Amino acid sequence: MTDDLGTYAENTWCSGCGDFGIINAFKKAVKELEDKGVKRSNLIISSGIGCHAKIFDYINLSGMYSIHGREVVTIQGAKMANPNIKAIGFGGDGDTYGEGIAHLIYAAKRNEDVTLIVHNNGAYSLTTGQTSPTSKKGFKGPSTPGGSIERPLNPLAVILSAGATFVARGYSGKIKHLTDLIVKGVEHKGFSLIDVLQPCVTYNDTYDEYNEKVEILEKTADTVEEAIQMAKKTENLPIGIFYQSKEPVFHKQQLQDINLVEDRLDRDERLKRVKGILEG
Amino acid sequence: MKDISKDVFTYIIGGKAGEGINKAGDAASNLFSKEFKRNVFNIIDYQSLIRGGHNFSVVSTSTRDLASHYMKADLIINLDERSLNKHKDHLAKDGLMINNSDKIEEEGGVGLPFSGTAKDYSRPNLILGVSGIAVLTSILGLDKEQMKGFVEKEYSRGAKENVEFAEKIYDMSKEKKLWKKFELDYGENTGPVVSGNESISLGAASAGLDMYIGYPMTPASSILHFFARHVDDLQVMTVHPESEIAVANLAIGGTITGARTMVGTSGGGMALMEEAFSLAGMAESPVLFIVSSRPGPSTGVPTYTEQGDLNFALHQGHGEFPKIVSSPGSIEEAFYLSSEMLNLVWKFQTPGILLSEKHLSESGMTVDLDPESTSWAEPKKHDDGEYKRYLDTEDGVSPLLFPPSNEVIKWSSKEHDEKGISTERPEIITKMHDKRGRKMDAIVDHLKEINTVNYYGDGGPTIFTYGSTTMSVLEALKYGNIDATVVQPIYLKPFPVWELNDFEGKDVIAVEQSSIGQFATLLKDKINVKINNNIKKYDGRAFEPIPLAAKIKEVI
Repeated sequence: MTDDLGTYAENTWCSGCGDFGIINAFKKAVKELEDKGVKRSNLIISSGIGCHAKIFDYINLSGMYSIHGREVVTIQGAKMANPNIKAIGFGGDGDTYGEGIAHLIYAAKRNEDVTLIVHNNGAYSLTTGQTSPTSKKGFKGPSTPGGSIERPLNPLAVILSAGATFVARGYSGKIKHLTDLIVKGVEHKGFSLIDVLQPCVTYNDTYDEYNEKVEILEKTADTVEEAIQMAKKTENLPIGIFYQSKEPVFHKQQLQDINLVEDRLDRDERLKRVKGILEG
Repeated sequence: MKDISKDVFTYIIGGKAGEGINKAGDAASNLFSKEFKRNVFNIIDYQSLIRGGHNFSVVSTSTRDLASHYMKADLIINLDERSLNKHKDHLAKDGLMINNSDKIEEEGGVGLPFSGTAKDYSRPNLILGVSGIAVLTSILGLDKEQMKGFVEKEYSRGAKENVEFAEKIYDMSKEKKLWKKFELDYGENTGPVVSGNESISLGAASAGLDMYIGYPMTPASSILHFFARHVDDLQVMTVHPESEIAVANLAIGGTITGARTMVGTSGGGMALMEEAFSLAGMAESPVLFIVSSRPGPSTGVPTYTEQGDLNFALHQGHGEFPKIVSSPGSIEEAFYLSSEMLNLVWKFQTPGILLSEKHLSESGMTVDLDPESTSWAEPKKHDDGEYKRYLDTEDGVSPLLFPPSNEVIKWSSKEHDEKGISTERPEIITKMHDKRGRKMDAIVDHLKEINTVNYYGDGGPTIFTYGSTTMSVLEALKYGNIDATVVQPIYLKPFPVWELNDFEGKDVIAVEQSSIGQFATLLKDKINVKINNNIKKYDGRAFEPIPLAAKIKEVI
């Protein structure tokens, strides 16, 4: 199979980086989605800023290389304007759980139909390995040479509390499993978050820990509370879909089935309506 | 000074927040414009609070065009003592003051028991505002049925109570021999009373706006409210997300699927959007930003007016990229300019700012708007063949293509090649800077073909002004019978030097609402004029024509 999802951009991820697992899983997921009838031309991607974000240059799909923490907003804007697209964002843990955490919480609260894949490597790697929102307490980096004194954030617990309707965790070392999560996340009608445990071979090499602790969930939780308990486990690290529920999506509640860009009112109709308002 | 009472009739109603003062101003405006076919200019003066304090509406009306309110009032209605103390000096010679006798000891005016009468109704505070229209219709000599019909239309929510209350006040004012105390000439106006923010909104809607995104911030919030109210008839999606940062990024996201998007805020919100403004510059995303100023810095004085954000608007965004900044000189111009700006940001694929102020955004005036004369935002589009999002063209503008497409369309915040793939190569960095830079030249070429400066009058001294202050200056000249030439640059970036370089070395007066004279400095910098006098006002209040006329006379 030729890799028609690749680009001419030079790949600069470190050898062994967990990002390779994520890009491979994503490309497989795209093929699976295509097999299921999703048109590639309808897939729109976005990324934040950091090592993860280079994925935007490496995947031959349309979209926007956004800015730090805003990728999840960019794709929501694209989706609101044209609900026919499937919008997928890529973020790092710094993007999504740090700079853009308000956007993440609101994406869950709003339930716009987009998917966010978080490359969670517990470090700010592109900027030389500083502590991140999910770094463990005691993490040593150039901004915390004596060890981070803050406790790590549990992103799944946060997002479950915010009302997310699809919450999953994958591992970049388990590509087939992650592929399946991505397919299911994109198919989910509503906001889907896929947190991906991703070792950083240079600044936070967690391969041994993850290979030992990661275990595939047997079943999805029935309640948010149960899902939060599962997310808080540290002795082992469950991966899979923690929680999924059905709620109406944002754009449908706003404008029913109107597609802003495909059902645009023409100039005459616009002017007629503006005149109507002016004439009271 | 001439007797303005014959020319302009001014009505003031003052009371506490929560007593329907703003609505009373709107109702009076509609009475003058619809029943008397007169022109209207109104302002609302309110504090940043929900209950209490002092709010007032000023409605000036004339059979001629009116570009400002006057504070010298022919009729003042005071709902409380504070209003009386604040406004008694505004009473014109032969003017009339009506006081809420339940709250105010008689002092010169006529007392009517508004509060006592209001007690019998379900919303005794809110209904107080209805007193204004009841008294006004009586004083202007409307018959009772006319009055009732008008109140029913204006105060349709809880109309039964409102009409009954108004009737009581109307009867009382008749007993006090106030009926037909003033007679107003009928005018020839047929247009509605529209606020600056409504004008901006309707102009953008005419140009094809698809999405409006806003986070509440006075004095821009009423744009958000307008679109939310009209979402079904205009089909403009209206979103109020978590922050101004989200606002601007949603708007940018919308552009990649082809939606015409606009955002609105004041200075503080724009500060949060600035990161995204730069993104729009680099990604060449066409977003129109409405910035409506209030006195700063920081939170400043949230519900008042100032032109202190001129430099802020001109210098938005880190890095170097083309941007367009303009400011409408009247509520009518705001309508055409917002449509033109939406078209320009799409034509040149770069962010633009429409700079307004509280005085323009939230004041209302009778307008004659022609939607047919607005612009329609239409970008240069890709035909077929291989697509490059950032194709290097002669004018720097790359054709647009939107999904779904079999071509890959990559927008980017990073420096990129023509395909939109990140680059650090020196020759491409230079090439892309030049490509974006040429768009600025193309914008200048385009602006040279359209109206970028308004001139009013001829002869006499030259007065430069911009934004809502233009209205104040024009009304002051009319009031003071002053011959002068008023020059109002509509576009501030790029600054229309091609149009204005004849003024080089000339003596001019600059009028603006800034404490440091940002506009005067811009003029000196761009066209090297000699600022003989810089008339400045920075107390949060718009210029009033009478004192401004006196000031202009002083310096010429």
